[in-house]
Amino acid sequence: MSGVFDWAEGLQWFFMLYFIGINGGYLMLNLLSLGSLKRYIEAHSLDDLPRGISGFEPPVSVLVPAYNEEATIAGSVRSMLQLNYPDYEVIVVNDGSKDGTMDALRREFALLPFPEAYWQRLPAKPVRGIYRSTTHPSLRVIDKENGGKADALNAGINAAQYPLFCGVDADSVLERDSLKRVVEPFLEDPRTIASGGTVRIANGCSVDNGFLTRVGLPRNPLALLQIVEYLRAFLFGRMGWSPLNAVLIISGAFGLFRKDVVVEAGGYRSDTVGEDMELVVRLHRLHRTRGIPYRIVFVPDPVCWTEAPESLRVLKNQRVRWQRGLSESLTMNLGLLFHPRGGVAGWLAFPFMAVFEWLGPLIEVAGYLFMITAFVLGVVSGEAFWTFMLVAFGFGLVLSVSSLLLEEMSFHIYPKPSQVAVLLLMVVVENFGYRQLNSLWRLWGLLLWLSRSKAKWGDMKRTASWQTGGGGMR
Amino acid sequence: MRLDTGLSALPGHAAAEFWLPQDPLLALVFQTGLAIVACSLLMLVAVFLLRLRLVLRQRRERRYAAQWQPLLAECVFGVPGTLPRVPPGLRYHFLKLWNHHHESLEGGARDHLKALAVAMGLDRAARDMLRSRDLRLRLIAIITLGHLGDRQCWPELRALVSDPSPVLSLAAARALLDIDARATLAWLVMVMAAREDWPLARLAAMLKEAGPDRVTAPLVAALEAAGDPKQAVRLLRLMEIAHTGRAGEAAARAVGAASDPEVIAAGLRLINDPREIELARGCAAHGTWFVRAGAARLLGRIGGPEDRQRLVAMLADTHWWVRYHAARALIALPFTSLEELEKVRGTLDDRFAADMLAQVIAEARAS
Repeated sequence: MSGVFDWAEGLQWFFMLYFIGINGGYLMLNLLSLGSLKRYIEAHSLDDLPRGISGFEPPVSVLVPAYNEEATIAGSVRSMLQLNYPDYEVIVVNDGSKDGTMDALRREFALLPFPEAYWQRLPAKPVRGIYRSTTHPSLRVIDKENGGKADALNAGINAAQYPLFCGVDADSVLERDSLKRVVEPFLEDPRTIASGGTVRIANGCSVDNGFLTRVGLPRNPLALLQIVEYLRAFLFGRMGWSPLNAVLIISGAFGLFRKDVVVEAGGYRSDTVGEDMELVVRLHRLHRTRGIPYRIVFVPDPVCWTEAPESLRVLKNQRVRWQRGLSESLTMNLGLLFHPRGGVAGWLAFPFMAVFEWLGPLIEVAGYLFMITAFVLGVVSGEAFWTFMLVAFGFGLVLSVSSLLLEEMSFHIYPKPSQVAVLLLMVVVENFGYRQLNSLWRLWGLLLWLSRSKAKWGDMKRTASWQTGGGGMR
Repeated sequence: MRLDTGLSALPGHAAAEFWLPQDPLLALVFQTGLAIVACSLLMLVAVFLLRLRLVLRQRRERRYAAQWQPLLAECVFGVPGTLPRVPPGLRYHFLKLWNHHHESLEGGARDHLKALAVAMGLDRAARDMLRSRDLRLRLIAIITLGHLGDRQCWPELRALVSDPSPVLSLAAARALLDIDARATLAWLVMVMAAREDWPLARLAAMLKEAGPDRVTAPLVAALEAAGDPKQAVRLLRLMEIAHTGRAGEAAARAVGAASDPEVIAAGLRLINDPREIELARGCAAHGTWFVRAGAARLLGRIGGPEDRQRLVAMLADTHWWVRYHAARALIALPFTSLEELEKVRGTLDDRFAADMLAQVIAEARAS
């Protein structure tokens, strides 16, 4: 019997230390974010003063992959054509939609076929036709066979004319000055190869003509919980890594890249559902292992709004997909892990991501299951059980509250005090079931990845209600 | 350590065991957990207090802004008789509003704004703020002193140009340009060429404000003195703001003397003089694709009918952008109609060349 108790004691300490380790790590990131966020806000304190356009801003190709977006594509593209940026083009890539996406585009933007000398720099499914808008000269549409989001983005890169490209989800709502914000790191440092900004939840907000006109909170509790989650993921999950040049994720919903670098790296991989993260990890790997100086930067400004799932089924699918994408991104780039030239990305961010995000759900779920079962069976003491619970919930709480504190110290996106009160409530509530449920879904994603069941991204049908699923936080 | 089950203990003892771990290590973890929860609660309170402070501050700012706005707007016509009352805590806010007005207005209105600021003692306040440790205050002070044309702070601003922070040093450079553009540009362009952490877009905006009359000579002089190709490229890019003729001459000299492809490509962008045609023709066969693309663009600007065959040959270049610019240059050549180019297209054996010409002809027709 003593063998069982020794074994249980060992496991109990393993899980307890794991929970302390993961949350301690996040707290460190939080501290890093605090400093860099403060510096960022101070340095940009005069950005709202009127400033002329220099004409030296690099032109940007905005790439919008679209699959079955008939109901929303016209509105989204119209808003993308009104961004506050001196020189950019919009390229919509119709990825073999089965609905009337192409007809909607033809009708709304008076498209005409155009004999473009398509430059196939990256592999992509065959292009059926290229169209130019006769009403909006900066808009082009690539009509191609279905190949998934990554394939559509590669086709967009092939057609892009400008040195920077920005991948945007067709259902994203962009801030008018979003491009201006994410281009900044490229102006400030020529070594910058990619930048991304904060994605926020649009549920409960008012959108007019494709632009956000009022920030509000959703009534749906699942969406409310995701607001706190997004704050945590972006304000310190990414801001913390940015000064260390170790941001491993730039959201597919809105990310800016140097085109030549991405082409050199081989473009997006279409054999993963996490093509956005995979590309960023690959860029780190290639630059680190080849000793090429580079920067991948996170801009904390809210640049893009996305609709969060409001049903458990859709949310579960999203989280399962994200976990699979994470698994694929890391395993496809194992060469970065502890590479002699891996730097912070290879020696800290990658292992951190692998232990706490990739394998985390397995250990977390196992930890909860073990402690509950062992407590019920009397294998661990009450004091050990409650200590574990206190640590697990306490750290969860402190991380969520601190992300709200960061938000309150920086952007104050939610204007009403009552909204802050609701978010504070959510910060507490999410620790009682929601986070554990998330761990379960992510574990399921991990198991699906292990079973190698085929990923389906391009076949995912969006509903007509503005936005569903889509990329986003991860 | 052996763990008790907790179930076998007596009820009273169990309660104590529940909340106060006996094991010292477990007790430490338990206390850490309690500290973390306490920390969370403190942060919850901090969130509330921050929001409360924000609401009160915004309310105060709005109240004062309602008084300041009409007075600042009056500066369009003259210096207001009543000076705005600015509590010390709202000085930053007022200066921001003042600078906003300054950048939105022009001519005499700016002079009235300056007179108002001096009458309020804001020049002295800004000089004090220049030494603050708060970056926000320092930045607003620098911008304000620049707009005020305050010569007293010249040495301090000059020193700040060497600050390692690009934000601070750029703001100081801009302020110096506002105070005395001619005197500043004489030495600042060399710093602009050398400091790679200063974004070209920001520098270009600053030079645009100074105007081509002031920036051309210092840029040309700096280019001629630049030994480092990286610096030469930065200066050539900035010369797009200078007077076209002088910039083009200097660029042609730089291109003629350069071996670095980046310098050559940057120089080719500035040339517009048909006398430099041989330079363009020579670069059309360069080993680097972006030099060939630049040469094709230049041929489009200064070339003649005799360059048609050269450009037609460039349509079969291995690089997409060279083909594209060669096709556009063909269209731009004098005495060349789209119908003629359609005929040329029919004679092309290279599919990529024919496709490119088709695209550019369609572009020309669409525009």
